[in-house]
Order: sequence, then structure tokens, then C-alpha cells
Amino acid sequence: MFERRLYFHIDWLLLGAVLLLAAIGVSMIYSTTYVTLPDGSGHAGARFWVQMYAVGLGVVAMLICLALDYRFLAEHSLALYVGLVLLLVYVLIGGKNAGGSTRWISLGVFNLQPSEFGRLALALTLGMYFGENRRGAKNYSDLIVAGLFFIVPFVLIAKQPDLGTAVTLVPVAFGIAYLAGLRLRLIAIVAIAALPLAAVAWKVALKDYQKSRIETFIDPEKDPRNKGYQQIQARVTVGSGGLTGKGFRKGTQGQYKFLPVADNDFIFSVLAEEQGFIGVLAAMGLYLFVILRSIEAARLAKDRLGAYLVGGIISGFAFQVIYNITMSAGLAPVKGLTLPLMSYGGSSMIATLAAFGLILNVRMRRFTN
Amino acid sequence: MSPTPLLPDDRRSLTLRLSVMQYVVTAAFAALAIGFWIFQIAQHEKFREMAEENHLRRLPLPAPRGVLLDRSGKVLVDNEDSFSIALVREQTRNLDETLRVLAFATKSDEAQLRETVSRRRREPSYRPIVLIENASIPQVIAVGARRWELPGIIVQHVPSRHYPASEMAAHLFGYVSEIADTQLQKPEYAGAEPGTLVGQAGVELAYNKLLMGEDGSKLVVVNSVGREIGAPPDGEQLPKEGKRVQLTIDADVQKAAEDGFEATGFNGAAVVLDPRNGEVLAFTSRPAYDPNAFAGGIDRATWAQLNSDDLHPLQNRALQGRYSPGSTFKMAVGLAGLEEGVITPNFTVHCSGGATFYGRFFKCWERGGHGTIDLRHAIEQSCDVFFYTVGNMLGVDKINKWATLFGLGVRSGIDLPNEVQGLVPSTAWKAQYTKEKKWYAGETISVAIGQGQVSVTPISLAVYAATLGNGGTRVTPHLMKAIDDGHELKPVPEPAPQSQVEVSPEKLQAIRDGMWLVVNGEHGTARRAAIPGKDVCGKTGTAQVISNQGRAAARTSKNLRDHGWFVFFAPRDNPEIAGAVFLEHGIHSVNAASIAKHVLLTYFAKKEGKPLPPAPTRDDMHLDLRDPFARGGVVVEGNN
Repeated sequence: MFERRLYFHIDWLLLGAVLLLAAIGVSMIYSTTYVTLPDGSGHAGARFWVQMYAVGLGVVAMLICLALDYRFLAEHSLALYVGLVLLLVYVLIGGKNAGGSTRWISLGVFNLQPSEFGRLALALTLGMYFGENRRGAKNYSDLIVAGLFFIVPFVLIAKQPDLGTAVTLVPVAFGIAYLAGLRLRLIAIVAIAALPLAAVAWKVALKDYQKSRIETFIDPEKDPRNKGYQQIQARVTVGSGGLTGKGFRKGTQGQYKFLPVADNDFIFSVLAEEQGFIGVLAAMGLYLFVILRSIEAARLAKDRLGAYLVGGIISGFAFQVIYNITMSAGLAPVKGLTLPLMSYGGSSMIATLAAFGLILNVRMRRFTN
Repeated sequence: MSPTPLLPDDRRSLTLRLSVMQYVVTAAFAALAIGFWIFQIAQHEKFREMAEENHLRRLPLPAPRGVLLDRSGKVLVDNEDSFSIALVREQTRNLDETLRVLAFATKSDEAQLRETVSRRRREPSYRPIVLIENASIPQVIAVGARRWELPGIIVQHVPSRHYPASEMAAHLFGYVSEIADTQLQKPEYAGAEPGTLVGQAGVELAYNKLLMGEDGSKLVVVNSVGREIGAPPDGEQLPKEGKRVQLTIDADVQKAAEDGFEATGFNGAAVVLDPRNGEVLAFTSRPAYDPNAFAGGIDRATWAQLNSDDLHPLQNRALQGRYSPGSTFKMAVGLAGLEEGVITPNFTVHCSGGATFYGRFFKCWERGGHGTIDLRHAIEQSCDVFFYTVGNMLGVDKINKWATLFGLGVRSGIDLPNEVQGLVPSTAWKAQYTKEKKWYAGETISVAIGQGQVSVTPISLAVYAATLGNGGTRVTPHLMKAIDDGHELKPVPEPAPQSQVEVSPEKLQAIRDGMWLVVNGEHGTARRAAIPGKDVCGKTGTAQVISNQGRAAARTSKNLRDHGWFVFFAPRDNPEIAGAVFLEHGIHSVNAASIAKHVLLTYFAKKEGKPLPPAPTRDDMHLDLRDPFARGGVVVEGNN
């Protein structure tokens, strides 16, 4: 199955960039979760080790996704999709609750967050549906079928509630639909139709904390001690980093907990604080490289399925990266949206590395039949 | 199932759309890079400061005030370690509740705590507001025990001002208290923060800048809930202690003056100087207050009581009390007569118990009269008729000239704040400041025996005694002797005399002889002040509190009794100590002389290395408390 010549077609540059980003993330987690004991000594925090294991597992998942032909995986995408939906349903029934939402399935050693795998399953399913459909995605019925595939996991995840993760399904679906030739006019119609829908959602579906997040973004100074606090602190964190940063483990905002969830949603703020504008440019450069290189892989794909698959995955990835970085500078409403490859989170790391396994897979197999 | 290859058509469209994606992503990243550039480079300084404000707190380290020493190095005022209970508002959850619990636990006035917080509400919320200064140990323990109910309440360890001798020389030292809002706006307090302790009276105020030192500060790192989690290196700036200041005061002479008053039971003031240079050896005003009460943040009740007390304990009588000098004024008149050539030392007047001037009869205090009397004996026996006569010959302006040259009716220039000026009238003064304008020669008669409009402060009368003693040099009384420059006490140059006048020695000698006779003569009015071998010179004086007409009626009322004066210097030739004692409602001036004697005995004993006399008892004072009107008859004028 894994022919020797395929090895030479692996995109080492993309792989290197992805692993480098993961390494930066791990080191930032080390920095923010470092435990200092009263006697002045200290040691790495538990989350650092969890993240290290996650990277290890993620690399294994990546190798699996690389070794199996992506077409084989796509052919079984429906099974994967149904499996995911079942897991998401199970989460709502018997999942583990933490911090007011139910997102996890407890596996003893660690907790699995199925929603993180939603983008992967959706990309495979929609890639298969549009890629193997000779007509392309030109009419409404295609859009409706795609919409159904999208809406089921979206609702299940949003109900946890985890709107942030649910929303990341949107760019995946749109990315694939767009590449499959969906007319821009159609996208515009959907967008316009979405507006009143959003208004209804604001009234009915959104939880208070979700509303307040959006309100806060519009005017962070209104209530600086509470809701606007994170946004202001995010700007202070980033801005105080300056050109060269305060130095590894020397950031005051992240270290002294002025910035909440520093190892997770706001990990990029910590990077900006401790490594400065230079560090920001380096990390953003790597992300941009990873995205552009992946889009290149889509262009090189031998079939529509491959192109759409890569396009869907990278759309979701790019959306998440751009949104998180914008948020980490205090320029977007605070959402529970992690920065893929860097934020703390085992499921996210495993799912993301597995996704890049698929991207590498498509590029690697561009010459095979 | 075989793969669906990309047809050329598809590929073209796909390539285009992928390119669009690439451009969109690149543009988004570029926009983000610009955003980060704005925050991290363009607005870096602003955010850097905000981050510092977040995690760095500057806590003040109050500087101990400079220690005050007496002329021989004895500590007069120092500092004591004390605790203060303070509030850090940013760490409280429920300010109302915290204050309520604190007031309950420390048994303090809740309204006053609230007022303090409200007065300083505009300060940054991390800065501690001291609520209870000089907290007692039970209060500190009570706060410690309720630590969990009192978030934001901290106990600080601070140096606080300590006056070991309590009320002794309170008006001299003054007191310290929190800087007032009005003071904060003054340039000399630039840089002081609310809550700083500054001198509010006396030496503490006059030399506040020297004594205050420089507060230090300590930077601490706090986390997002305000808990201290460390200190940055080099974040501590140690406070600089205020300068040690040596005063000219002699603690033993000061104590002698206080003991003297204590024994008589009267209030009043006393100032003792070195007539050679103006150094103040003792300075007291009674009743006094306990400056320690201010150092620890005075409570409302005490403050209200001090202010409403009929005896005005906050008034510095030595500097701010104006009283008529009575017979102590007679030397000025005698000297004016001699120097203006109106009389000679051997000039005599016949006293038959009174004399008529300008159609009005002026009585001598000695109803039987002094007979024919010369200057020396007129001073000795305080003959009023003699000085009526000389005063009448001089006219008020010449009296004014010489009284002023010897320090009366002007400020002494002492290095203490808020000195008031006495008054020696003149025709010019009357023309300028009164409705009547014109000076009547008859008024001069009263002035000649220190009555009428004449008023003096105890300090100016002490300078007067010193100037008589030293022969015409109106020395500037001062308290500052030396300042610690960090290594040793470095003497401060003496202030220049206020004025100096050439007086012919033999004329002055006549005055001095008279003053010697007051104490040592057969008929002297203050014979009790005599010290064998010391040639003490002095003069008694009585200051009327109300007019003669009212006197008889008011004789039983304590606070309408006459004031007693005694001015002195010693020894007669080359005096080294001079001063004035003012006994408020002291009835007889000899009672003031008793205090002066104890001061002089102490001074000479110390100088000669002999044991100091013990604090006198009331009996030692031989108080004369007889009713001055027991002689009967209506006294129109005249005093001794």
C-alpha cells in the first residue's frame, strides 16, 4: 500500500513547518504553565506533558492518515461521518461536563473531544460528495445536500454548547462548495439569507454568555472589569511585548494571570508578549506558509476529491488561525476558539495533525492512479 | 470506483479559485501584521505602561522623621515603631461590610473610618489608606484574627513620632499629622502624597523640610487578584531618615520651667534665653497638649475638646499671647529718659502716693507714697509716680523708640511660625490705626507704667530682658543649634541680631542696679528670686485683665484675676541667662519670680556641675494668693 517511491513525494517543508509550529506551541505552554515553588525552584506544568503526549499521538494519527490512500478513507467517509455524529450525540447524553458545557467523552487517561474531528469528517464527506459528482456543485439540490451534511454536526456541537468549534465547520463547507464551482451569486444569497437567520438566532438560540461576548467586543470599555476585561488585557499583553518581547517566561500579563486562558485561546497573545513583534512575524509567517503550501497541494491534486478535501481542511484551518490571531490581539470578540497547532488541547492537536496527514497524503499521491 | 480526474476545464476554474483563496488569506495575514505592528510598535509605550500598572505596585516606605536633640545631645523627640491598619481598596470585595467589621473588631468609630475612605477616594485603589494610625496591640490582633473577613485590610509597620516628655514643651516641638488638602497645593510640599505626615506647629512645622526626610518605596509584583507574589530586583528605594537636629534648648532648664508652673498650678508661658547670642534655653506655654495624640492620628473627641477648651491649650501663649507688660515696662521708660537726656541717674521725684497729670489723679500702688526717690530705687520699689513723671517728660514717641530698640512691640524673629506682634503706641500709630487719630498727652502717663494700649508677647519680653542684660543688642532668639550632616552635628551659624544700639554704660548701669535691687535690695519687690553670689536682676509686673472699675466686682472670678510677670537676667555683669515668666491670672507677680528662681537655680547648678534642685512643691513656691484689693479703696491706676 505504501510504495517506496511515495516517500520521495512527501512535502517535507510543509511537514517541517507544521511540526515547528507545534513545537512553538508546546514551548509557549511550557512558559505559561510553569510551576514556581515557594523556594524559587520549579518544574514544567502538567499541561506541558499532556500536550507533549498529544503531539506524539498526533504524529501517529498523521502517519496513519498519510499511509492510507485518501481515496480509501473518502470511500468510507460516510461511515466516519455517521460514527462522528453518533459520538456527538453520545457527548450530549453521557459526556463530561466542564466549565458549563459538555464537550468531552471521558476515556479514563484523557478526555476526547469529538467535535475537534468534525471538520475532518465533514471535509472527507463533502469532498467525496462533490468530488465524485460529475456535474460538480452547480445547482440548488447539491447545496441542500451539502447543507444537510453540514447542519447535523453543527447543531450537535453548538448545543454542547460550543459555538466556536461549531462555527469552524462553516468555512470547511463553504471552502469545498466554492472550489466545487458553487456560483458566488449563490454564496451571496446564502449569506443574505443568513442575516435574518442570525437575528433570529440572537433572540432564540444564543446563550447569554455568547451574546455578552459579542456585545463586549463592540464596546470593551463599557465594563472593563468583567466582560471587556479579556479584550483589553489581550491588547495590553500584545502591545506591551514590543519589538523583541519580554523574554521567555518573562511575560507579566500571561505569567501573573491578567490574561485568562493564556495557554489556550490566548496562547498567541503570550507569544506576542514574550517574543515580541519579531516572534509574531515568524509565527504568522509559518502559518501563512503552511496555508499557502497546502493550497498548492490542492492545486497539484490528481483528482477533484483530493483538491476539495485539501481545500476544505485548509479553509477551516485558515479561518481558525486568522480568527484566533485576530482575537488574541483583542480585535475580535472572544470566542472559545483555539489556535490550531499551538493552543493547549489534545483532541485539537491530534485532529489537526491528522488533517495535515491527509493534506500531505493528497500531495504525495498526486502521481498515483 | 476509479478516481475522477480533473478535466482541463475544471482545473482552470479550480486553479483560479485556489488563487483567490491564497490572495484572501495573504491579505488577511498582512492586515493582521499591520494590526500587531500598531499595538506592538506604534502604541507599545502605552501598553507597556498599562502592563506595568497591572502588575507593579509602588508601596510607600515612610521615612522616620529627624530626631530632635537638646543642646547637650539628649533626645527630646524621636520615633517609635508603631502599627497602622490600612485599607487597600482594590483587594476588598465589599467595602461597606469590610469597614463595618473593622470598626466592630477594633472598637473604632465607623463613621470616621468611612470619612477617611471617602476623603481619599480619588487616589489609586491599590494605594493603602491608613485608617487607624498607631493601632494598639489588641486592635492588631483583632484584625489578624478576622483576616478572612477583612480582605484588603493590612497591618503596616511604620515609624511614628514620639514625644517622650508628653506635654513638656509641646508648643515648642509642635506636632505632626497628615498633610492637609490645603497644604498639598503649596509649593513647599511638592511631591508629598496624601497621607504623608508633616509638621503642623512649632519646630516640627518650622523645620519640616529638614525633619521629614525622603520617603522610600518598594515595588512589588502582584498577580491578577492583587496578591503580592514577589518583588522585582532593584525595586526598593530605602527611605532617607530626616536630619537629626540639635536645638538650643536645655532639657533640664526646660523641665525646671515646666516644674515651676506645675508647682504653682497656674498657666502661662516662659521663655529663657542666652542674652549673649539669643539661644533659647527653655520655651513653654501652658496649658499644653500631648503631641503624641496627634502623631497617632488624633481622634475627633480629643480634637474637639482641645479646640473648645476655655483655656485654649492649642494657643502658643509665648508667641501668640498679647498682654500688657505692666511694671516690667518701666526700664524702657527709664532708659529712654536717660538716653534722651531728659533725666540723669540721680534724678529724683517725690512720691506722695500719687500725682495729678492733665487734671487727672494717677495713683501709685504704694498708697503711702515712696517719698523722694531716685531711678534705681524707683525701679526697686516700682514707684509709679516716678515713671509717670519721666514718661510725661519724654512723650510717647521717645518711649516708643527705646521700647522698640529693646525688643518690645516688634516681632522677635524667632525661628518658629505664627509669631504675633505686640504694640507700643506712638503718635504715628494712633494717627494711622485709630479713629481718634490724635494722641493725648494724658495717655502717655498710663503707657509709662506699661498700661494703656501697650501689649507684649512673652517672647518679646524675654528679648527685652536679654537686651537690657547684654547692653543693647537685640539678639534674635533661635532654636536651631546644629544639623546632622550625616557624619556629625554641624553647628548652624547664629542669626544676626535684630538691632543694636549704643547705650552709655553708666546709664545702663543705673537701670541694671535698679533691677538688682528688685531682687537683692531691702525693699525689692522680688526678693525671693535672690540667689547668693549670682546677682540676679529682675523686675516684676502686673497686667490687669479688666479695668479698675470692674475689678472690685469681679475679684472672685478666677479668670479675671491679674496676670503676673517676672523678667530677669543673671548675673548682673555679663549675664548669661535672661528671660520672662508670664503667669496667667497669677494674682501676684512674685509668684512668677518663684518659677524664675527655680529655673535659675537649675541653670547655675547644672553649669557648676552640682546636683540639680528637685522639682519644687507647691509649698516651695511660697505662693502669694492674697486678694490684691484687700487694702481697700478704689485703685485708679498704678501697679507693681
